[in-house]
Amino acid sequence: MKHEAFGRWFPALSRRLAGHRGSGRAVLLACMAMLSPLHAAEPWNIPHEKILTIKGVVVDILCVLKQDCPQACGGGRRQLGILQADGKLRFVAKGNIDFAGAAPDLLPFCGKQVESDGLLVENPAATFFFAQGIRTDPNADFTQTDAFLKAWTAANGKSDEWWRNDPTARRLVDEDGPLGIKGLLPTKK
Amino acid sequence: MRMFFAVMVFAGLSALMPPAQADTGKRVQVTGEIVDTWCNVSGLMFGLGTAHHQCAIWCTLGGIPVSIRDKDGNFYLILRIEEDDQSVGNPRIAKIQTHQVSVEGELLERDGIKYLLVTKVADDKGIINMTHEEYGIQPFGQ
Repeated sequence: MKHEAFGRWFPALSRRLAGHRGSGRAVLLACMAMLSPLHAAEPWNIPHEKILTIKGVVVDILCVLKQDCPQACGGGRRQLGILQADGKLRFVAKGNIDFAGAAPDLLPFCGKQVESDGLLVENPAATFFFAQGIRTDPNADFTQTDAFLKAWTAANGKSDEWWRNDPTARRLVDEDGPLGIKGLLPTKK
Repeated sequence: MRMFFAVMVFAGLSALMPPAQADTGKRVQVTGEIVDTWCNVSGLMFGLGTAHHQCAIWCTLGGIPVSIRDKDGNFYLILRIEEDDQSVGNPRIAKIQTHQVSVEGELLERDGIKYLLVTKVADDKGIINMTHEEYGIQPFGQ
């Protein structure tokens, strides 16, 4: 993985590897914020990505496709998207937290009109939206899509690496090993 | 007269509303590896087989969508497995991450995504893609 992409994809780990706690990055981001348009999404150099603000109604994907519509967009169980006025259904696959999606960020706005700032990735294999910010008021600032980590921290306590300390993830990795096969261990490279 | 007026208003409103119809998908059989969609499609890291199994568990539990990737590189994004419609953070799906499976289901294509509603898991060969021998553990190497 390229270093720059690694830093974006795993900001917490990247800061630790750099030997500091992100003060330099924070200063850099603050400077960038002053120089660039407010709340413009950050490029990640993902093939086929396009910085975009999309507008539409937050929907339960399965509800739109099959008219199978539980209350409140499924209450967090289901993948969500944004249905634009032109009829395009944008699947929101990712939020700002490492290894986490954006369903918890969209869920409070089920059935409501929102704007989301992020990256539209139109890969021929799959088109999806990476939501970096969300808002309902066009004149307000975008709220960062970090609802997953807030909920996780409330349930499990603070951790720099939620993924290593998630009880279910630990149980599954303990049961089958990191490679997914009991007894199979990584070979030294 | 009042009733007639009410019926006409209802008919007028009904005509203005778009029909709410369920899409009719195509019956398909799909064979491939259960994968973390984000890591695979974004290409930010190597995202297949044993090398990526641990990361795939993390992503699944974090709510990243899960797909079946077939041998031609097509991604079938799973919205339901049989009666289980939990497609966000489902431990049952995390448990079968990286497995090679054959499934039957309904395929619905919309705006660049192949959505799959699995009606039956016909075969599960477990994990057979031994990529760790070449790639170690992705990411972080541990």
